Parts: sequence; structure tokens; C-alpha cells
Amino acid sequence: MSGLELVAVELALHGQPLFEPVTATVPPGEVLSITGPSGSGKSSLLAFACGVLAPEFTARGDLRLDGRSLLGVPTERRRLGILFQDDLLFPHLSVGANVAFGLRDGGSRAARRRIVADALASVGLAGFAERDPATLSGGERARVALLRVLLAEPRAVLLDEPFGKLDAPLRDAIRRLVFERCRERGLPVLLVTHDAADVAAAGGREYPLREPPTARPAND
Amino acid sequence: MKAALLLAAIGLLPVLAGLAGTIAPALDPAVWPELAATPGLSRSIALSLGTGLSSALLSLALAHGLLAALASRPALGFARALALPLIAMPHLALAIGVALVLAPSGLIVRLLSPWLTGFEQPPDWATIQDPLGLALVAGLVLKETPFLLLALTAALAQVPAERLLLQTRTLGYGRLRGWLVAVAPALQKQIRLPFAAVVVFGIGNVDVALALGPTTPPPLAILIWEWFLDPDLTRAPLAAAGSMLLVALCTAVLALCALGARAGGVWLRASAASGWRAERDRGARGALLGLGGLCALLGLFALLALWLRSIAPAWRFPQVWPMAPGLAAWREGSALLGAALPTTALLGTVSVLLALLLCVAAAESLRARPRARARLAALLFAPLLVPQLSFLYGLQVLLVRLRLDASWLAVVWSHLVYVLPYVFGFVAAARAAIEPRYRDVALTLGASPVRAFTAVTLPMLGRPLLLAAALGFAVSVALYLPTLFAGAGRFATLATEAAATVAAGNLRAAAVAAAVMATLPLAALSAALVAGNALHRHRRGMPS
Repeated sequence: MSGLELVAVELALHGQPLFEPVTATVPPGEVLSITGPSGSGKSSLLAFACGVLAPEFTARGDLRLDGRSLLGVPTERRRLGILFQDDLLFPHLSVGANVAFGLRDGGSRAARRRIVADALASVGLAGFAERDPATLSGGERARVALLRVLLAEPRAVLLDEPFGKLDAPLRDAIRRLVFERCRERGLPVLLVTHDAADVAAAGGREYPLREPPTARPAND
Repeated sequence: MKAALLLAAIGLLPVLAGLAGTIAPALDPAVWPELAATPGLSRSIALSLGTGLSSALLSLALAHGLLAALASRPALGFARALALPLIAMPHLALAIGVALVLAPSGLIVRLLSPWLTGFEQPPDWATIQDPLGLALVAGLVLKETPFLLLALTAALAQVPAERLLLQTRTLGYGRLRGWLVAVAPALQKQIRLPFAAVVVFGIGNVDVALALGPTTPPPLAILIWEWFLDPDLTRAPLAAAGSMLLVALCTAVLALCALGARAGGVWLRASAASGWRAERDRGARGALLGLGGLCALLGLFALLALWLRSIAPAWRFPQVWPMAPGLAAWREGSALLGAALPTTALLGTVSVLLALLLCVAAAESLRARPRARARLAALLFAPLLVPQLSFLYGLQVLLVRLRLDASWLAVVWSHLVYVLPYVFGFVAAARAAIEPRYRDVALTLGASPVRAFTAVTLPMLGRPLLLAAALGFAVSVALYLPTLFAGAGRFATLATEAAATVAAGNLRAAAVAAAVMATLPLAALSAALVAGNALHRHRRGMPS
């Protein structure tokens, strides 16, 4: 079975379940939009997928990529790229070094630099390699963050409301760019959002998170 | 987790073992009547309590007042920049410098003589070592206000102080009153430990009292110190009993402070509803700023006086600039400095490197556990709440038994006890301030945990690590009693030389050691600031 699969995934915070178990499949090149209000555990679901869930959470269920379980695989070998609402470009590195951080090992220095330069040029950021990320506009930063993820050659991409902080006109352009690039590469994309426009633009299925039926009061 | 346990063990074991070792001889019932019969004991106790408590309260009030007067003003950054060098200057060196400024033959009287005062001879005034200990209080306030100012600033990160103050001001409250009612209570919890450390240091210190405190009788700590150093070893049980008395006094005063803080809180809540606004506080703010400026000036003059005294073979009274300045004292002192300076620098460097290694590892392992981190920080801080004298003697006895006295291991370890709380506080706060998802992003991009640490976390910690190193170095350079006891008196550093010479009344030799001792941490701090600015210079996203 190819693609990304969530199998009866349940998350609990201090023992309190966050949502009803999630079972869903994202085939290669498609987008699944998981929706829910803030605080519903969307971001925690992605943290679970990456294997960086905070210790106060507990998780059940399985996560599979191309038929193999990722549970127990360390984060750095899961090859799941993630984009956040904040671009989280490393502030101490140049734009080029940020992109190169994602680039897989191998190749000469010059070759690596050329790949980074070409990648930057492909999103309209030619000549940006030496720039300080803090001097870039929001749209430029979003594109650099996308390149950083794609050059790491992920096998699936997770999007944590990555368009939320962008201005409306820019948001459409970045959204199109992200979905296009992921589709070209045949990557399964798991998007979490509370923005209906994101879901529409993604064009895939929507999976609303449901509150667990027995939400008990905390001091029971 | 292992790093955190190791850190706690290194920080606390010497104190616990030392305390036990000091209590043992103090249990001798014969020693207490002897202690009680010490002439002038009650006056010594009163002096210790009076100077310690009043200097701590004055420092806290001044630190709060300065922040209230300067909050959300550009001058606040300036005040903080002035606080750093004062914090870095060792107590002992600063006290010797202040003595050279305030003494009847000191810089101030010289500057005003004879044109204003008419003095051709130094006046017969007790401006330092005065019987009430006012000079001692001044020296302590000068040193502790910047420390509390910085501690309050760190606490402010978690309080929306500027908005609270603006809110009270738009309601018609004066700045000082608004700060007292709305901001100060929110800082109370985080300032408790630093304030307690200031109280305990004030009551139990030898460093400042040696140069500025009264002598007949001296404060209790000086009395105990003299007993410990007495070549007649039969005084040791007396000193041990005195140390336990010192511990009891500190504990009682801290309990009193806790009660006072509670009562103050009750009064503050009641008075907050009274509508009293104190909106005309320009005069009070001016006085606070004036006092703060005076402190900065006194610190600068103290450094200047140290250097002047150290190059003055003869310094006839009203002259501000010494006759025929020269390096005679330096040549005399070169034998001393030749050994003490490298030892001091090496001791500081080794202590700081070890402290950084341990603290970075512990902070990294506790990065997602804020409560464990706070608990470890409080544990490491505990030795600062015990008078140094009270455990160092017991520690020395233990070290002699283990044949470790005067070893590098013992001295470095005793320094770590005091360097760790500051370095960990600094490093842990800086590590916690780094957005945790940076590490997650690095991992999802395929970086191993080691690479995520070395390529992302560590560089982002660069500036705080440099500053922590400089401050830790300053702490190590300043340590007199730990070096004296763990070194069994055979470990010569700038601090032990400065203390020995000032106790012997040789101010010129003391000035040489103290001048170097004051300058060394300042140089380290400057280097850290310059290097920190060079680091990430072209990265605006890196907080400075």
C-alpha cells in the first residue's frame, strides 16, 4: 500500500483524549485536509507523525508510509518534511545555508551550491543565497522554507497551517506553489488547517477531527 | 537527566559535607560559653545583622526604583550596560577601591582639598571602617544593586511590565506608585532567591567587611574568620560554633524577610484600593536616578583609585595625581603577581569550561521540562543561601583527611559550587528561550540529534554562552574564602593576595592585586561582548 496511512491514531493530553481515533489514507500526489478548531489537537497530530510529540502527550495507533510503520523510526530517518505557519528559517544561517541544510549528503561543494542556487532561482529568488533570512519578506521566507523541505527529498509532506500568516493575495500564490511542487513529486500531503479556503485550494478530501464522545471533566 | 543529577551532586555535595564537618566541632558543649563570653560579641552580631539586612533592603529598593523610573525608556539599556561591569567586579577588589575613594585620605577628599576644605592633612574622620558600618553598607549596596537589577530584569521577561505600568499611568498613578502596586508583586516570587543570597552574603561576608567594615569590634564573620586563621588551632571549635551562630542568624533573618514580604503584600493589597496615586513623584524619581548615578560614579572612581594607588610610590595628601607615578609597587608585587595571576586566570578558565560543559548538557536534557529545570536551578542556588564560612571549614577538614587539600581538584570544585548557579541560570534560560521547533525542523530535514545540536542549537546559544562564561569567570576570580579554605592557605590567587595584604594594612600592595583582580573580569566581559557582537553580525534575526 503506497502513501501515508493513519491507523486509529489517538492522542491524549494528560490522559484526556483530544479527538476520536483518526483513520485515513493519503495516496501519493494527493492532499488530505484535516480540519478542526484551534486546540483540537491538529498540530499535535503532526508532531506525532514526526515523532516529536511533547512528553505530556500519549499516543496510540499506527502511522505507515508505503506500507511500513514509522513508529520507532527516529525523526531524522522518517523523511517527513514539515512546514509550519512560522517559516522557522534558522536565524543564524544565510538563506543559502538554510536551503543547503535540507539538501541530502554528497556532491562537491560547488555542485551543492549550484543546486541551491538553481532551486532558489526556480522560485524567483535568484541571487538570494547570501542574504540574511531576517531581511526577507513573508512570501520570500515561505518559499525558502518550502525549498528547504523539498531538497531534503521527503517521502511525504506535512503542512501545519503554513499559509496562515501570509497576506491574502500572497497566500494564493504560495498555496499554489506548495501544492504544485508536492504533486509534481507525487508526494502524499497531510494538511491541517481551520481555513476552508485551504481545503478548497488543496482539492483533496477533508477529514474533520471529531471531539471524543466522553470528554470527562479534569477533576474526576 | 544524568547531566542534571551530576550537576546537582557537584554543586551540593561540598556544601552538605562541609556543613556536617563544621557542625561536629561546634557540638562540644564547652565551646558555647566561651563563644558567649567573647567581648563585644553582641555588638558584632548587631553589626552583621544591621549592615547585612539594611544593605540588602536598600539594594532591592534602589533596583526596583531604578527600573520603575526607567521602564520603557532608552536609558534603561544604558543602566543595564552600567550594571554588568559592576557585577563583574569582584567584591573584594571593589571594596578596596571604595576604601581608597572614601577614606579620609581618599580620592574624594583629595579632589576637594585644599581649595574647598582647606585640609593640608587628611582629616581625622572615620569615613571607612566607621563604628556603625555605614561604609560597609555603601560598599555592599554598590555591589548588590546591579545584581538585583539584573535579576529583576530577567524576571521581567515573564511579566508584561510595560503594559501594566502604562495601564496604571493612564489611570492617573505615578510611575513609582504604579510599579509598586502593579509590577513589583508580580516579580516577588522570582526575586526571592537572589534577594536571599544578597541577605546572606551581606551578613556572612568577609570580602567587603575586610576593607570597609568596623574593626573594634568587627562584624561576626570577620571574628570567625580570624579564629579560623589563628595559628593557635584551639580556636577552631570556637570558630565552628560561631559559624553555626552565623547560620542561625541568616536563617532567622530570612524567615523574618519572608514574613515581612507577606505583611508587605497584605499592606500593598489594602493600599491598592485606597486610590492613593502619588502622581507627583518627579522628585523621588530624580533622587533614585541620582543615587543610581552616584553608584556608577563610585564604581568608576574605585577602579581609578586602585590603578592610581598601585602606581604611586608616594602619594602626598592633597595631590589627586600621584608624584612620580611608577611601577615600583608592581615590581615589588611582580613576584606575587607572577604566580597569583596565572593561577587565578587558569582557575577561572578551568572552572568556567567545566561549568559550561555541565550546564549546557543539563540544560539540553531538561529543555522540555521547565519544572525540573526550575528545581535544578533552585538546588544549585542553595549554596548561596548558606554563609561561605559555615561549610568551608568543615570542607577543609574533610579535604585534609582525604589528602586533597590544596589540590587543583579541591579548589576547582569549590569554585564550581559558586560558578554553577550563575552559569546554569544563564544557560538554562537561554536554552529555554530557543523555539523548540527549530530542533524538530532540523530533525525532520534528516539531521541527526548530534548535528541538530551542533549546527542549530549551539550556534543559537553562542552569545549567551559567551556572556555566561565571562560572568562565571568573574565569579571565580572573586572567590576568596573558597580558595583560602579548599586551597588550605597554600593556593595563592589574586583574591587571597589582596585579602592578605589588605588585612595586613598594606594598602599599596593590596591595590596592585585588587587592580588586576578588578580588571581581569572586565577584560573577560569586554571580550565576550565584542565576540558576541561579531558572532551573527549579519543576522538580524538573532536576538542580541
